Amino acid sequence: MMNLYKMRCNVLSLSKKRKHIRKSVISFPPMSSAHTTTTQDVKSNMVLREQIIDETDLSSDHLTPELQLYLITQSCRLWTSHPQHSPFLDPFWAFYWPGGQAVSRYVLDNSHIVKGKSILDFGSGCGASGLAAKLSEAEQVTFNDIDEVAIEAVLLNGVKNNITVDAVSTANLIGSSCQHHDVVLVGDMLYDTEFADEVLVWLKGIHESGSLVLVGDPGRFALESHPLRASLKCLGKYELPQSTVLENNGHSQAFVWTFR
Amino acid sequence: MSLRVLVGCKRVIDYAVKIRVRPDKMGVVTDGVKHSMNPFDEIAIEEAVRLKEKKIAKEVIAVSCGPTQAQETIRTALAMGADRGIHVEIPAKEMEKLEPLHVSKILAKLAEKEGAELLIVGKQAIDDDSNATAQMTAALLEWPQATFASKIEKTDGTLLVVREVDGGLETIKVKLPAVVSADLRLNEPRYATLPNIMKAKKKKIVKMKPADLGVDTTAHFEVVEVCDPPSREAGIKVEDVDALVSKLKEAGRI
Repeated sequence: MMNLYKMRCNVLSLSKKRKHIRKSVISFPPMSSAHTTTTQDVKSNMVLREQIIDETDLSSDHLTPELQLYLITQSCRLWTSHPQHSPFLDPFWAFYWPGGQAVSRYVLDNSHIVKGKSILDFGSGCGASGLAAKLSEAEQVTFNDIDEVAIEAVLLNGVKNNITVDAVSTANLIGSSCQHHDVVLVGDMLYDTEFADEVLVWLKGIHESGSLVLVGDPGRFALESHPLRASLKCLGKYELPQSTVLENNGHSQAFVWTFR
Repeated sequence: MSLRVLVGCKRVIDYAVKIRVRPDKMGVVTDGVKHSMNPFDEIAIEEAVRLKEKKIAKEVIAVSCGPTQAQETIRTALAMGADRGIHVEIPAKEMEKLEPLHVSKILAKLAEKEGAELLIVGKQAIDDDSNATAQMTAALLEWPQATFASKIEKTDGTLLVVREVDGGLETIKVKLPAVVSADLRLNEPRYATLPNIMKAKKKKIVKMKPADLGVDTTAHFEVVEVCDPPSREAGIKVEDVDALVSKLKEAGRI
């Protein structure tokens, strides 16, 4: 069952080349095959992990201090850098966005929702929500993010918190069936108007097919202005810690939503 | 009541750049010159974002009238915390003929269209120093105005605004909807950091033209000449008081 699932989710092999890392900073060897692990690939994998550790802080200054996460914080050099000077291309995984914090907090405080269940952490970033689900005794969690560096961060964060990462996937799952997941966690994915539309329509379908969808969001325009906003009900509301407010100018709260 | 706030932000030549007059004396050199957001508009955006963080505002919309590059100014506003942007396209060639009245008409139309209850702009732009847009927009909308604001507080349905006036501070109460212009001491704008710049790249900017809002941007002014201020001549040093007195007598000053 597990193997079948993994195939469906295009589970990431550790040998994939790191196309999300700028070549000017680190160059990775071309891969010979996506599914064979070469010594060189393992090496580049190690380099990437070291780079994540170098460029981030281990932080528990967020709504889920139960988890220590490798994040770019105010004391990191990249905090004040322009994206073009970052060695990582758009490191969304390096921040624990308000919506992700809210969903993770909700899952930790309401463990019965995920206990013994199969979970999808969609757009997992650093993996906090999925790791929170594991802490709440979820049976199986799939961490999904199209950024391969994010998946590497998930693996690092799993090790740091002594949590087994069951499955990872870099497939774009939007539009696919998620019936095999009891719960789908979506932390702060609705930041882009067009993208939010695609995601919300897909999530509504998942809800209608019987899975529980939990959406975390700080009140971003893309969600607030969407017609499907009226189909959501609020399950939780959280005041954000000061450090998170600094990362998210204009937002001081985060909410957890589900479909009515 | 949670407000929708519209904020005007203008792309201007950066305050640190030495301004040079064009050889044809019809304007200043803008090509290849560093531009940034008008500093008073940065203060306006900052204030709107703070209102949002205090949950007084529900949404902050940043507007800029200008050429394609005005989008960079809007992105800066979005990174500071504005929720979305509106870019009113003005071709670069027409930009120096765009007057405060045109901008006021654009802002007034947008305030109505977006259902804004508060408009904040910088008290003046550091390029033309007109100090007119806030006042004229308030007149067009028939909204009260609180100019040169150095502090804003919201009470039910009204704003308590401390204004910087000659000789001190004046506190006034204005009913909402209202227009506020930001003075230097209103706040200290924040720097955009990596996470905020990353999210700002994903925020929505709607493009439109003045004509889409029914605004005619025909010039009312004609520029006759632009020239440098007269350069000051070097002074001289005198040995003692007697020499000073005789020099002053020579110059006919005493």
